[in-house]
Order: sequence, then C-alpha cells, then structure tokens
Amino acid sequence: MVRRLERIAALWALLGGVGLIAIVAVTTTNVALFAADRVAALSGRAVSGIVGYEDFVALVTSCAALAFFPYCQVHTGHVRVDLFASAMPAALRRGLDRVWLVLTAVAALFLAGMMLQGLLESRDDGALSRILGWPVWPFYVPGILSLLLWAAIAAAQAAGRDQGRAQGREQSRTQAQGSGDG
Amino acid sequence: MGERELVGIAGLVVFFVLLMLRMPVGLAMLAVGIGGNYAISLVAPFLRFEPYLRGFKTLTWSTMASYELSVVPLFVLMGLLASHARLSRDLFNGVNALVGRLRGGVAIAAIGACAGFGAVSGSSLATASTMGRVALPELKRLRYDDRLATGSLAAGGTLGILIPPSIALVIYAIIVEASIIEMFQAAIVPGVIAVAGFALTIAVLVRVNPGLAPEVWQPAQPERRRAVLRLIPVAVIFGAIILGLGLGLFTPTPAAAVGAGLVLIYGIGLQLVTGDGLTLERIKASLLETAITSAMIYFILFGAEVLKGFFTRANLPTALADWAVSSGLDPWTILILMLIALIVLGCFMESLAMILVVVPFFWPALVQLNGGEYAFGDSAAFGMDSDQLRIWFGILALVVVELGLITPPVGLNVFIIASLARGVSMGTIFRGVAPFFGAEIVRVALILMFPALALWLPALLSG
Repeated sequence: MVRRLERIAALWALLGGVGLIAIVAVTTTNVALFAADRVAALSGRAVSGIVGYEDFVALVTSCAALAFFPYCQVHTGHVRVDLFASAMPAALRRGLDRVWLVLTAVAALFLAGMMLQGLLESRDDGALSRILGWPVWPFYVPGILSLLLWAAIAAAQAAGRDQGRAQGREQSRTQAQGSGDG
Repeated sequence: MGERELVGIAGLVVFFVLLMLRMPVGLAMLAVGIGGNYAISLVAPFLRFEPYLRGFKTLTWSTMASYELSVVPLFVLMGLLASHARLSRDLFNGVNALVGRLRGGVAIAAIGACAGFGAVSGSSLATASTMGRVALPELKRLRYDDRLATGSLAAGGTLGILIPPSIALVIYAIIVEASIIEMFQAAIVPGVIAVAGFALTIAVLVRVNPGLAPEVWQPAQPERRRAVLRLIPVAVIFGAIILGLGLGLFTPTPAAAVGAGLVLIYGIGLQLVTGDGLTLERIKASLLETAITSAMIYFILFGAEVLKGFFTRANLPTALADWAVSSGLDPWTILILMLIALIVLGCFMESLAMILVVVPFFWPALVQLNGGEYAFGDSAAFGMDSDQLRIWFGILALVVVELGLITPPVGLNVFIIASLARGVSMGTIFRGVAPFFGAEIVRVALILMFPALALWLPALLSG
C-alpha cells in the first residue's frame, strides 16, 4: 500500500513536471514571437504574442506546485532545523517526528477540505481567469487530489511502516545534495 | 504593549520552540499562524476567527497560482537540468583551463565555477553540493591542503544566494514589494566583489603558505583547448540569462523558462553528439528533484503567508517599528544590530524561512528609522529614499544570510562539503572557511559604507 502510494506520488510529481515543461515550451514560443515582432516591426509588420500567456503560466503552476507536495513528503523533503536533534534521545526524536507527521496529514486534509469549498464557491460564482476567460474551478481539482495524496502519505509514514525508510532517504538525500535553500 | 502584541510575541516564541523540536518549518508557520489567530480572536473579539478561517478556501490555490512565483520551480528546474547535463563539470573544467595554471588556480577556478553555477541554480546548497562533487577530486589530486580545498568550496557555494538570478532575491523582492529586476541589477556588483574577494583570499593564502597548493595544474594543450571549447556554450547560455536579467531585457519568468529550455536542448544535443548529456533518465531525475525542492520552497512560502497574517493582526511589525523609533538608538546602530541578528539566526535557521519570517519585521522598522515612507536625501537617516533603502537592505541582508551557511554550529554548506570530503573533519573545514568569512565581513563593511555599490547599477540602467 505504502509503496503504491509512493509510486503514485512519483507519477503525480512527474505530471507536475510535464506541466513545467509545458510552461517552458509556451514561454519560449512567446519570447520567440516577441523577438519576431521586433524584427517584423522594421518592415512595418506585427507578430502577436500568445494571448493570455501569463494566465496559462499561473494556472498550470497552481497544479504543478501542489502536485510536487506528495513526492516531497515521500522523501521527507520539507526542511526542518536539526540543531538539537543529535542531543535528543532517539525515542523522543522518533515520537516527535510521528506527531509532526500526524499534524502534516491533518493540515493537508484541512487544506483539501477548505479548497474543496473554494472550488464549489468558485464554480457557483462562475470565476474566470483574467485574460483567457477560462473557468478557474477545474484547476482546483488537481490541487485537492495532491493534498489528499499528501495527507495519505504523511499518515502512512506516521503509522510507522514507512518511517524508517523515509528517514533513511532523508539522510542520504541531505548528504548527497542538500535540501535546497533558495 | 497591548494583549494582541503579547499574543504575537508568545506566538513568535512558540514558533522558535517548534522549530527546535524539528517540526517542519512550513508546518510550524502554518500551525502558529492559525493557532495565533485563534488566540488573538479571544483577546480581541472584533478580529473574529471564523471569517479568517474562511480565507483558506482560496488562499492555498491563490498562493500557488502566482505568475510571479512560477519563477521558483523554473529556476530550480534549470539548475537541476544543468547539473544533470554535467554543465557544472564543463564550467569548472573551462574556468580551470583559463586560471588553473596559477598557484592556487584550481581553487580560484572552483570559486569562478561556483559563481557561474550558483547563478543558474539560485541555491547555495545545490551549488556547494554540485561543485563540491566536481572540484574536490581535482583539488585532492593536486594535493591541495584540505583546509583550502574544502573551505574554498564551502565559501564558493554561498555565492548562489546573491548572484542573480537568485530565488532568495526574488522572494525578498516580493516581500518588500521591490522590483525583482532592480534587485538582480543591484546584486551584480556585490556578487563580483565576493568572487574577487574570495579569489584574492586564495591568492594571499597560497602566497603566504605555498604548501597549501603544492602542485600547479599543467594540462596538455589539446585537453586545455577542449575544456575551453566546452565552456563556450555554457558561458553563452548562462551569460545570456544573467546579462538579459541584469540589463532588464527579460523579466524573471521568461528568463527562467527560456534558460531551462536552452539547457534542455543543449543537454539533449550533447547526448546525441557525445553520448554524455541529458538522457531520458536524467531528465526524469531532474523533474523529480525539482519536485522536492520546489515543494519545499512553496510550503515555506505558503506557511510564511499564514504566519505573516498572524503577526500583522498581532500588530507586531508596527510595535517593533515604534519601539525602534522611540528607543533613542542611532538608526545605523539598529541596522547593524539587525544584521548581527540575521547572522546569528542564520547559524541555525534555513535561509529562505529566515528571510520570510524576519524581513517583514525589520522592514517597517527600517522605514520608520529612515524618516518614513516619503523620506529622501538629507532628511532620511540613511541618506536615501525608501526604494533605494529596500534594495540596499536586501543586498546587505542576503550577504549576511550567506554567512550563516558557513558559520558554526550548523553551517549547512560546511555539512555538505564534509559529506563529500570523506576523512576531513568539520573543524578543519570551519578553519578553512575562516579566511573567507573575513573576506565576507569586509564586503559587508564596504556595502554599508558605500551604498552606491548596490545602488549604482539599478540607477544607471533605469536611466
């Protein structure tokens, strides 16, 4: 079950990655059209860019960003301060980690529930994106699914079956590349 | 001080306690933000909790659906694609071919390559990790002293946070509502000073003690030519992004997307021609690593948004600003105290989280100390208007945040280099980093004394 969840999270993250690649493709095309417009302007002609490009980027990013959360949880990738970790008894550390995992699952479920209400309100209000005029509510759906998957993975890790593996992964990842800092 | 402010301070204390107990930073922000708002609704009933809670119906989605923030995963993707396409290795080998024949030159090449890779990855830890793997074996082969080899790489890794395009700069600009492009422009001269300062430090160290770098790299001519040739496309791609952003030709999101696209195409081309570029497996690995890093950043950004709402309702930033003005302390003294606080916090707190938590407190206080939002020229305590102040303070803040990455007891960059340099103790690396720390303090002093180092380029380019 846990392994299946992990595989789903990896596939889900890759789908988010495909969304990023789509943004790269659309943006590069838009920049090329912008450059072509500059060249065409020399001969009095015009080339238009992609209408609603910024809308597209924002909508796809909303899906991609949340799609990354479950996979990050699989790898215990959310940063924490380890300053006093070595001074803690192992049992206390494990206990605290379990509590934070349960809280993570609760938080993800809370956010999913609130987002579902947001989806329903957005659909009832007929909310549209600014330039493209696309309905916004369908773009809530991948986000809600991502949050539910995130909650399921955190809950599975808290249940203990996966905690050791996740911690091992966290350690090897930190040693291999660091957790990123912006 | 009223009850709301007391709740705010209690929330701040609880937040730090939760961090010490290893709660994930984003979760701690979320928990304290929501819990704190509930506590405020008890002491100030007009700030009701239920309407606040209803805000979450749209907050999650609207935080993620931000065009401005889309730059974050795109820059992360670009850096990881560059790493998996082995551009970091080409970068190091190319710079090494240019300066490696000097005494200490390979360490200087590592600093140069760190600056180049730090620019595209936008992350200090990723830079230290990637360049550490590329440059450490070469430094070991040439019998560089462990202190110099590891110290220069740990210090060089810090360049990623400031040299544009940097994710930390984007986040800072969003918090204080500064122009991202102007922040990038402002970071160029301090970034160049850092590279020059580190290179000078290495040159002085090996001059004083030649035993630190006993062997000089003497490659065969064809090997050198090949390394320089492989550097050209990398330099063109990275240079186009940095210059395009610095000169204001691109805005950040298109720059990041086009950069990622160029690295992807070049990496696939490299694979087709040499068999050592981006395979499907490596692209997949880049996407999955992008997922981890981006989610980590987005969770902190979201948590910070919730926490900021709590502190604002608790009236804490305004109370701090009022205290700063009425304390009777000289504005410059308070500024230096703020920078020291950032260095101390940076010793044990993740840099992005620190910027998100601390800057919203410090910024209103600085504006008040400067004489208010509309102060300028001689009427302003720092001799500059608010727009210039937000740029100058941002550069100063990020430079000192960098210092936290190489300062005991945590020094994340030092940990990463220690994990790569088997058999070298943390103490040795911290001793190796010390001269570079000194160079950084000199840089902070220079930027403090001469704000034009940060402000000159944005003013010039904006006309």
